[in-house]
Amino acid sequence: MLISDKSKKIIDSCRFCWMCRHICPIGNATGQERNNARARALSLQYVERGAAELASCIDNVYECALCGACTKECATGWDPIVFTKEVRREAALEGITPDYITALIDKLGETGNIYGKTDYCDCIKAEAEGLNKDSDTLLYIGSDARYMAPCFAKNAMIALKKAGVDFTILADEIDSGIALDTLVGAMEETKEAMTACADVLNKYKTVIVLDPQDMKVFVREYKEWGIDLKCELKTYTAVLADLLKNGKIEIAKVDGKVTYQDNPLLVREVGETEEGRAVCKAAGEYVEMILSGKDTMFAGNFIMAQWMDDVMKLVAKERMTNIIQSGANAVVCASPADYTFLKEAAPENIAVIDISELVL
Amino acid sequence: MQFNEFMTDMILTELEDAVGRENCSMKEIDKMTHGVDYFWLSRMWSDRGLRMPEADYVVSPKDAKETSAVLKIANYYKIPVTTWGGGGGTQGGAIPVAGGIVLDTKRMNKIYDVNTDSMYIECGTGAIYKHIEWAANEKGYATMHYPSSLTCSTVGGFLAHRGIGVVSTKYGKIDDMVLQMEVVLPNGDIIETASAPKHAAGPDLNQIFIGSEGTLGVMTKAQMRIYDQPEERRFRGFLFKDMTGAFKASRELLQKFKPSVMRLYDPAETASLIKKIVGVEKPGAFMNIAIEGCSALVEVEEKILLETFAKYGAEDLGSEYGKKWWEEKITFFYPGHMMDLPQMFGTMDTIAPYDKIEKIYWAMKNAIETNFPMARFIAHFSHWYEWGAMVYDRFIVDNPPADPHEALRLHNAIWTCGVRTAIENGGVVNDHHGVGIKLGRLMKEQYGPAMQVFTGIKKQLDPNGIMNPFKLGL
Repeated sequence: MLISDKSKKIIDSCRFCWMCRHICPIGNATGQERNNARARALSLQYVERGAAELASCIDNVYECALCGACTKECATGWDPIVFTKEVRREAALEGITPDYITALIDKLGETGNIYGKTDYCDCIKAEAEGLNKDSDTLLYIGSDARYMAPCFAKNAMIALKKAGVDFTILADEIDSGIALDTLVGAMEETKEAMTACADVLNKYKTVIVLDPQDMKVFVREYKEWGIDLKCELKTYTAVLADLLKNGKIEIAKVDGKVTYQDNPLLVREVGETEEGRAVCKAAGEYVEMILSGKDTMFAGNFIMAQWMDDVMKLVAKERMTNIIQSGANAVVCASPADYTFLKEAAPENIAVIDISELVL
Repeated sequence: MQFNEFMTDMILTELEDAVGRENCSMKEIDKMTHGVDYFWLSRMWSDRGLRMPEADYVVSPKDAKETSAVLKIANYYKIPVTTWGGGGGTQGGAIPVAGGIVLDTKRMNKIYDVNTDSMYIECGTGAIYKHIEWAANEKGYATMHYPSSLTCSTVGGFLAHRGIGVVSTKYGKIDDMVLQMEVVLPNGDIIETASAPKHAAGPDLNQIFIGSEGTLGVMTKAQMRIYDQPEERRFRGFLFKDMTGAFKASRELLQKFKPSVMRLYDPAETASLIKKIVGVEKPGAFMNIAIEGCSALVEVEEKILLETFAKYGAEDLGSEYGKKWWEEKITFFYPGHMMDLPQMFGTMDTIAPYDKIEKIYWAMKNAIETNFPMARFIAHFSHWYEWGAMVYDRFIVDNPPADPHEALRLHNAIWTCGVRTAIENGGVVNDHHGVGIKLGRLMKEQYGPAMQVFTGIKKQLDPNGIMNPFKLGL
């Protein structure tokens, strides 16, 4: 197994340490020992030492959500995501990527998205009618909202229009690179996908990024690859918070108490904790749920749901428990995946609200 | 009995029927990750690229009913069953040394009730303790069980080996924190212990199963105590010239009131770990004390503490070192701070009354350093009672043998020497890490003819000997 010395060092540090077990959303949902950083590192140290084949461990390498909870928790700064992504790349190079991952990569090659969709929803197209095609501000929707949660994209467009923001969207949006980065890590093909996307984004002065996972690759992976993004990047939540602060939008009041689902990538990788929360706090009596801010728990992921749909449902159910225990009557979400999976998991008495729906 | 491929599949389908197909595995990934716990030998073995003994099946029941079904199948086919919680034990108690079934409890993680009238949480024993701490915190309470393994170990794991946390002096050990339990006996019967932990209805059933390390059944549900959050928690660090003064001062203090944290580090550990993590530079024996509860009582207790320790010449270091220690209390155990491979190390914790504990410390230190000159010996005393204290003494060998068999032999020789010395001088085989496979051989030396009580219970409850074989000396 050809992996970096850095990964080997992290594997050797994590293989006997369980300190992050309690915050692994997958392990908490499944109750399976293999679903934590320690188990993954232990199995890979066996591979490293010739006592096991990578093929016997590779499915487990794909059972990690890359949400960064373990990384955030580690008092000594080890980052299990580093070796997890490297091993995914190594599996691709060795030709032992699981079939269910290869099938997604094939779909990405054929259709531009891993979901195999050849067209996007009419509701987005309808909302795009009349947008200023010459605007220097782009709303980058991202593959998840475009193909899996189109209402989330539509609602964002409506909210920006209400605020009088001059923007446009792309008819043929290119994947940010999040798909390949998740599936095979830092392969040359991943860089090519990101470079192609950057070339498009750089035609705009400002890019509003709707999905936190796309923002994460723009600010982290593009930088790692040395891909130059000349446009100004803004998260959608930061734009909303700014509009609220400047009196450009009003926020609808929510019945009862409201809480906010911090997206893990937004808070831990992008470093944004307050913007979405500020919008949410304007909606009524705010309560903070346990595991919020940088300690947040992942609530679901469309990419991972392609091979672990049942587990994603369990993850959302776990997170819903935190929401219920907070005493909130509603939870506001700032990512299409959080919104969709929590909505599925919500009991009748908990409202799951897309943050754009708060904009009057 | 060795089963052929056909019978292996037949048994698999029965287990799948009991717990659901997705919760029953024969995959290599599940076997290998249930083969290594925190036991140094299992870590060393795998570090050398050797596979530990592994289970044939890994099953994850969701409750007592499914656990019962698994145990009935295991009994019929006479297959060993090893219960696995978080796998964070240091004594090899969760390693399936005889193969068979690993019964992973982590799906039994439901929190049924946070009962603020009677001050307990009822939960499945597969719950991670940190999760029940969160549940208590959300209602404004606390579990007050704060070991370094709080975030990784389960309620059942702590119960199985009689764990302890850093505020034990005030709040007690895990075995002091249980009200009632549900247990599945080896034959599959589901029982409940008495509805209150203090009674005169015969021997205490809770205490028969607590510490039994999965040899007598599977604890599946427990009511664990919760406590008011303290209004205040104050820290005070002290430096004693020697440990004799510290023991006298502590014994006297505990006749007056109970602090929550009491930790005395010997001069060697003060000069190494405490210097590195807490920053105490001076020579001597560092002691950290925390006092907590109602502010009015804390005020009085702190006064008593200062007066008592001053009598024995302790230098008052103020509150900063103690606060730093509290903040870093788990950091000690992260990779990079804790001893780690390739070093060989072990914690031979023992407990004894005050009239023996210091003698035990010196005897063990002398025995280890004399017989194993390649080993360093450090210690602290972290759990205190009105009648005695425990010593958390550790040996460290920086360059153990490269050959894993030789390393195993040296490791076991040091352990035998250290623990045997403790027993000979009036200590107990272990204080709070349990026995497992590591110390099973010394249980008979500890108990002598009293061991027949344990073996008698074992034979009655588990006549086929399927439950966690070769552990606890049973």
